[in-house]
Parts: sequence; structure tokens; C-alpha cells
Amino acid sequence: MPLGLSSFPVLSIITWSPFVGALLIMFLARRNALLVRWLAVASTAVSLILTLVIYVAYDREAAGFQFYEDVPLVAPLGINYQLGIDGMSLLMLLLTSIIIFAGAWASWTVKVRSQEFYALLLVLVTGVYGVFVSLDLFVLFLFYEIAVLPMYLLIGIWGSSGEVRPQGIFGWAFGRTGVGTKEYAAMKLTLYLLFGSAFILVGILALYVANDSSSFSFLEMELGQFDPRLQSWVFLAFYVGFGILAGIWPLHTWSPDGHASAPTAVSMLHAGVLMKLGAYGVVRLGMGLLPDATLQWSWLVGTIACINIVYGAFSAMAQTDLKYVIAYSSVSHMGVVMLGAATLTEVGLNGSVYQMFAHGIMTGLFFALVGLVYEKAHSREIFKMGGFARMMPGIATAFTIAGLSSLGLPATAGFVAELLTFLGAWQSSYSWWLIPAVGGAYLTAIYVLRVTKQIFWGPPSPDPHFQNLPDARGPEWAALWILVFVIVLFGVWPSLALAPVDTATMPLLNRLWVLQ
Amino acid sequence: MRSALGIEIGLAVLMLIVFLVGLVMPAGDKRRVGVLTAIGLVILLGISWRAEAGAEIFNGAFVQDELALFAKRLFIVATLIGVLASLPLRAVAFARRATEYYVAILASLLGMLVLGSARDLVLLFVAFELMSIPLYYLAGFLKREPEAVEAALKFFLVGTVSSAVLIYGLSFLYGIAGTTDIRGVATAMTTGHPMLLLGMLLALGGLGFKIAAFPFHMWVPDTYEAASTPFVAWLSVAPKAAGFIVIFRLYLEGMGDRVLFWVPAATGLAAVTIIGGNLMAIPQQNIKRLLAYSGVAHIGYMLVGFAAVSANGVAMMLFYLVAYLFGNMGAFLVVEAVAQAEGSEGIAAYRGLAQRSPILALSMLLFLLSLGGIPFVAGFWAKLYVFWAAAEQGLYWLVLLGAVLTVVALFYYLLVAKRMYIDAPDRRDPIPVAPLLSFCIFVCVLGVVLAGIYPRPLVIAALRAASPLF
Repeated sequence: MPLGLSSFPVLSIITWSPFVGALLIMFLARRNALLVRWLAVASTAVSLILTLVIYVAYDREAAGFQFYEDVPLVAPLGINYQLGIDGMSLLMLLLTSIIIFAGAWASWTVKVRSQEFYALLLVLVTGVYGVFVSLDLFVLFLFYEIAVLPMYLLIGIWGSSGEVRPQGIFGWAFGRTGVGTKEYAAMKLTLYLLFGSAFILVGILALYVANDSSSFSFLEMELGQFDPRLQSWVFLAFYVGFGILAGIWPLHTWSPDGHASAPTAVSMLHAGVLMKLGAYGVVRLGMGLLPDATLQWSWLVGTIACINIVYGAFSAMAQTDLKYVIAYSSVSHMGVVMLGAATLTEVGLNGSVYQMFAHGIMTGLFFALVGLVYEKAHSREIFKMGGFARMMPGIATAFTIAGLSSLGLPATAGFVAELLTFLGAWQSSYSWWLIPAVGGAYLTAIYVLRVTKQIFWGPPSPDPHFQNLPDARGPEWAALWILVFVIVLFGVWPSLALAPVDTATMPLLNRLWVLQ
Repeated sequence: MRSALGIEIGLAVLMLIVFLVGLVMPAGDKRRVGVLTAIGLVILLGISWRAEAGAEIFNGAFVQDELALFAKRLFIVATLIGVLASLPLRAVAFARRATEYYVAILASLLGMLVLGSARDLVLLFVAFELMSIPLYYLAGFLKREPEAVEAALKFFLVGTVSSAVLIYGLSFLYGIAGTTDIRGVATAMTTGHPMLLLGMLLALGGLGFKIAAFPFHMWVPDTYEAASTPFVAWLSVAPKAAGFIVIFRLYLEGMGDRVLFWVPAATGLAAVTIIGGNLMAIPQQNIKRLLAYSGVAHIGYMLVGFAAVSANGVAMMLFYLVAYLFGNMGAFLVVEAVAQAEGSEGIAAYRGLAQRSPILALSMLLFLLSLGGIPFVAGFWAKLYVFWAAAEQGLYWLVLLGAVLTVVALFYYLLVAKRMYIDAPDRRDPIPVAPLLSFCIFVCVLGVVLAGIYPRPLVIAALRAASPLF
């Protein structure tokens, strides 16, 4: 392996560096807010730099899982701390590193209990990294739980109240317990995701029991053949479990409430990265381990993805709160991810992974911008604001670029992803999927352009509160610059991402095509 | 004979010493009796570690196997923590009558120890009553408080009825099998006589009351709410564990090779207990009642391991019992600490605890997460292992049901976490905790975290303990 990385536990360092940062913050940086921030930035920078290093070092000719680490954890039970990445994990790792680095900068304004905030944020990121690099299903599940739980406190303590309307059975339960609305969003999110993890755990245990070698290793399970009937229901368990996190309809309702009430960095991380954990889980575990079931259920996954696309777009259109617009647009865009995967074609699956990346970056940018706008204008009501571009040209430009990527304009990352996915849908056995998918892209254009015009480029708002608003300044620029740069870079040079991803998707699809 | 009965004889001697010392102590200075009890229990724990498995006396009626030893250590540890946590109790009634309190606890412990080894129906029942009767008395120990008397009465009535049902069931077993030896019952089982099954069913009802399985749990929340908290912490763990040991003896050893016959009843009982306990815990505003119902749910989870009817299943239940011991006792001890300072057992008393006493709040969070089954604390492995054992037997529906209801459990645990971490405190001053109480809480935290990070030695011990049954 190049660069002499074979003996160096680079994946572990990437994964645990934020965690070490969190420990340092908890023990060293008491009452020193500036040190807290710099520790957070530094520990995420370590991960980012090492991710870039392995991105360059990843051998695209050799493909397969590289940078392999394997330490026995509970040997008699077949649990190993087994890490490795292929092209798909590599891209997800890159996404996570970029978003959390930008997120650390975007949280610069958190003043209340900032020490705990950063510590929880960094612990959460360790969980996310861990899921992307784990090759042992049990360890993967542990990391998954680490990624989910801090969210409860992050939203519950630092979230914003008042913008969320409790509804449905959760609304009723919360009316009785008398807790506030951000707690409602935090609780709903946590319980939905833990509900999902219950399904995942049952699925993993079922595979473990069915696996003759009694090991949780992904690589070993991949070699084995599971009984098609077992595959069938385990696939559904994984689809429900991970799909909740990916925001599939009708299990997505936690996501708009959660995103809307989360603090900026948490929204960025959650919509940008955590939802990808769900999609990644469906592709890696569901499609990777259960080929028969994948062929059996692809119609279901694709059809629900179409509902996601159209339903999410219509819901986004109906919102008046800026954060809800972005949150519902995520639901719609995650539909594109799932649709690409369900096509079971090479372009489609590549497009799916590309969309995970592109959507992660642009949603991260969107939420960073919404955070900035809210901080300066103290409003998220779209129709009260107007003409902000005169006062905050930088924010307006960045928002427009994110919007254009969202609606799939060429030369942005979003374009490549959607184009590939649509091609895949056309080539798949259900070419009618193309109709709702393209329709969704059209609807996206409507709501994105409308929101952008209303807030930034339209006539100025008569409201005196909005007369003298500052543009972004200081550290706030960091997140915007990084994310805009990535959107354009991956838009004009798609092979940056497609080359490694293709090495991961081809073997996966080959196993499916053998069965067909 | 001496080697087999060493622990029980040691405890009987300790009881006598505590009783005599208590008699001669001046009335205002009974605290030392508790200290003496605690020291005695530590010595007893040492004896139990030196005891060797394998002895059988009284024609096999009393057996000192790995299971019995594991159970006895569990009972002694739980009692030790309970006694240590009781030492700082300050109520007037308590100071005067401390001797009775500790002697009653030791008497109940003696019942449990014998129960752990009993393989004979009569011995089993006698030990069971020896364990239970002091509990009724202890539940009403604070006799000046009307709730305590009412709760004790309720506990007593339910308890005696359940004993009656149990002995009624056992009498059928004896009548058909013609012997009080549990292995003899197993032999008789092969005849498939319907009365034997009726006897087993009645006995399960009686035991269901003792371990507080749904729908036999009615006494639990009221008793827990009214009795003194350190006692409740112990009550919620030790007698339940003893109940499970009886269930193992009766339904695994006593069923012989017809053991699988019992699976539908066990799965059904597990399912309704999990559902009932978790759902009823949601609306509770008093934390002791909340923990009481959550305890009912935990009994259900343990029954999942029982329903697996395998050596693994039993071992995983034993592991679960240990995780439950530390998690549940720890949670009750935090409740005691907060109640002493705030004078309230409502969940509202926990507002902003994280900002007042961060370490106390963190301990409570760890206990709740352990009870909820979150990774890196003991409860996670406990739940995982019982589900695992059930999955091995193909009981996927039960696993899924349990896993989904775990989420419901997390809902009410998180509500407590929310009070502690998210809500702003009414006052800023830290909560004072008696040194002994904080030591006990620390021990529980240590147990929860160590078993969570490195569960292997405990799993191996549990597996060894379960081996004599299969």
C-alpha cells in the first residue's frame, strides 16, 4: 500500500481523534471557551487531513477494502474491532470530515454550556466515523448507537423552541408530560432512531445466528449464502431500521422536526451526515449481504423512494419556515439516494452514492446559512424577510449556489448525482420511476428559486428590524468557503468521487447480476 | 456437611451475634449494629468465594452447585449494598429499632441462601417463607407512616395468598410424583399426568407474585412507594433473584426432558410482562413508582432468557440479574440521596440536577442508560445476551417485541434524563450526600461500567453457573 500506511492505524486515528478532542475538552478546558473551540477545530482538522491523505493513498486499481485493521475484541463470540474502507466508505469519510470541520467553525457562536456542546458533538462524530469504517457488524452497531444518543441532549439543550408544532401521537404524549417543543423534537428523533436500531439489532443477531462461522465480520458474512427466506425478512428489518435514519416515507416525520429545532452544527451534521448513515446501512448491509432479498425488494425500495421525492418536494413547498423548507428538501433528496440504489444499475448506484455526498455538502451549507440568517435577522419566516442580498451579499451568494446545486444545475455536485440517478432509473426494470423523479427535480426548482428570490433577491422587506443586517464575518466565513468550494469542485470534476465509488459498487452489483 | 453448609452456618452465627450485640447496646447507639452487620457480610462474601461447588447433603435435598454459589454471592452483594445504604438512615424510629431491622434482613437473606440450594419441595417452600416473612415486616418498618402500614398489609396479603397458591401447586406435584425430590418430579413428568401440569401452573402463578411478573405485580408500586428507599433497593433485586433461582430449579430441573413443554407459557408471560411494565411506567410522576414498573418490565426481559430454555438462556438471565442489581439498586440509592435533600420523590425534584450535583446526575444517567440497555454500560450486554439466547431458539418475534419496547422504556428514562440535564434548576446549591451512600452509589457505578466495558469474566461465570441445570 502506498505511503507506508499499511502498518499505521489511520482509520482508528480518524475515528477516535474527535473523541480524544471531546475528552480533552471535558477535562482540560474548563471555563475557557476559546480553548474549547480551538480544541474542537484541531481534533476535527486531524481527521480531515488524514482523510485527505487516505483519499489520495487509496489504491483505485486494487479496489476492495483497504487500510485494514483487525483487533480481537471478544474473541469467543466472534466480535472483532475490524476496520477497513472501500470507495464508498472513503467518500462518506470525506463527507463527514468536511462537514464536521465546517460545523466546528459554524458553532463558534454557541455560548451556553459550550464545553458540553462541543464534547457531545465530537462524540457523535466519532460514532459516525465508526459506522462508516466498521467491518464488524457488532462494532458497527455500537458506533451507530454512539452516533444517535448525543443528539438527544444536543437538541434538547441547545435547540430552538417555538418553531415546532407537536402533532400526532407524539404530540398527544407530550401534551400530557408537559415538556417543551425542542424536547419534543429531541425525544421524537431519539425514539424513532432507537426504534430503528432495535430492528437493526434483531437483523444483525439473526445473521449472526444463521452464519455458520459465528462471526460478526462483514467480510465473512459476505462470503456465505443465507437462506432466501431469512434474507427476505432481515432485509426488511434493515430497511426499516436504517431507513428511519435515511428519512424514508412514512418514517421520516422525526426529521423535519428534529432538523428545525436543532442548533446549526447539529442540523448540518444530522442532515449532512447522519441521514447518510441510514442510506449507507441499507446499501452496505442490506444490499451487500442479502443479494436475493435485494432483488426481491428493489421494487418496494424504489417505489417508496419516488414517494419520498415527490412528497418531500410538495411538503417543502408548503412551508413558511426556512428551516422546515430545507428539512423537507432533505427528505426529497434522500429519496433520490434510495432510488439510485434501488435501480440496481451501475450508473444508478454510483449516482446514489454521489447524491449522498452532494446532498450532505449542500444541506450542510444550507443549514449553516439558515443559522447565519437566523442569528442576524432573528427570523426564519420566509415571507417576512426580503431583499437581504444588498446587506449580506456573501450569504446570499452562498445560498444561491447551494440552491442551484439542490435543483441540479450543471457544474454543481447536485447535477452529476441527479443525472446519474435518472439514467439509472431509465435503465432499470421500472423505468416509470423516472417520471416522479424528474417531477421532483422540477418541484425542487420551484421552491428553491422562490425561497431564494423572496429572501435575498426580491424587493426589500418593509420591516424595520431587517434594515441593517451584517454579512458573515470572521470564523463564519470558514464554513461557507469550504462547502461552496467542495460543491463546485465536485460539480466540475465528478471523477474525483466517481472513480473510488465505482470500485465499490461494481463488485456489489456483480454479485446481484450473477443471481439474475 | 460443614463445607456444604458453611455459608448458611456463618450467616446464622452472624445473626445471633448481631441480635445479642443489639440487646446490650444502649438505645441511642444502634448504628454500630449496622456496621457489625456489614462487616459480617463482607466476611460471609469471603467464605462464599472459598466454598467449593459439588457437595450434596440430606439425600440431595440441599445442593451446593455452581448455580447455588453464583446466586448466593449475588444475594450477599445485594444485601451488603442494602445494609451499607441503610446506615445513614436517620428516622427516629429507625435509630431505636435498628437491631430488628438488620436481624430481619439477615433472616431474609438466610432464606434466600437456603433457597439457592434447595432441590426439595418442602425445603424450597420453607426457605421461601423464611425469605418472605421478614420482608412483610420490613416493608412496614416505618410504622408511624400510614402509607407504610397500608403498603405492608397489601404486600403481606398478596404475599401470603401467593404462598398459598404456590404450596397448593407443590402439593399436586407431591401427590402425583410421590416424592418431594425435584428430580423425582422430573421422572414423574414423563407420565404426562395432567395434574402435574396443573401443579406446575399453580406454582408459576405463586412465583409470578414473588417475582412481580405481570399481571401479578399489583403490590409492587405501592410497596415500593411507601417503604424506606434503601430497603426497596434491596427488595427490588434480591428476592426477585431468589424467585428466579426457584423457577430454574422447578421448571428446568423439575421438568426433565419435557422442558420444552413449558415454552409457550414462559414466552407469553415474558411478552405480557414486558408490555405491561413498560406501558404502565410511562405516566408515573413519582420516581419510585416509575422504577417499580420499570422493574416489572425487567422481569419480563429476564423471562425472555428463561423462555429460550437453554443453558445460554439461563446464563444470560444470571448476567442480567447482576446488571439489574447494580443498575436498579444504584438508581434507588440516587433516589434516596435526592429525597433526603429535597424531601421529594417526584420526578420534578430532579430539575437541573446536572448543574447542581454533576456527579450524582451522571451516576443516575449511567444507571438509567444501563436499565435502558445502551452500549458501554452493563444493561446493554444484559439485554443483548437474553435476546441472543432467544434468537438462538428462533424466538425472533419475542426479540423484536422486547427490542421495540426497550424504546418505550427509553422514553421514560429519557424524561428523567431531561429533567436532570435540560431543565434549569430551581436552586443552585449542590445536594449533600452521606459518605456511605455515595460510596454505595460509587460501587454501583463501578459495577455498571465495568460489566459494560468488560463483560467477559461475568459471562463466563454465568455460563459456568448455568451448566448444572442442563
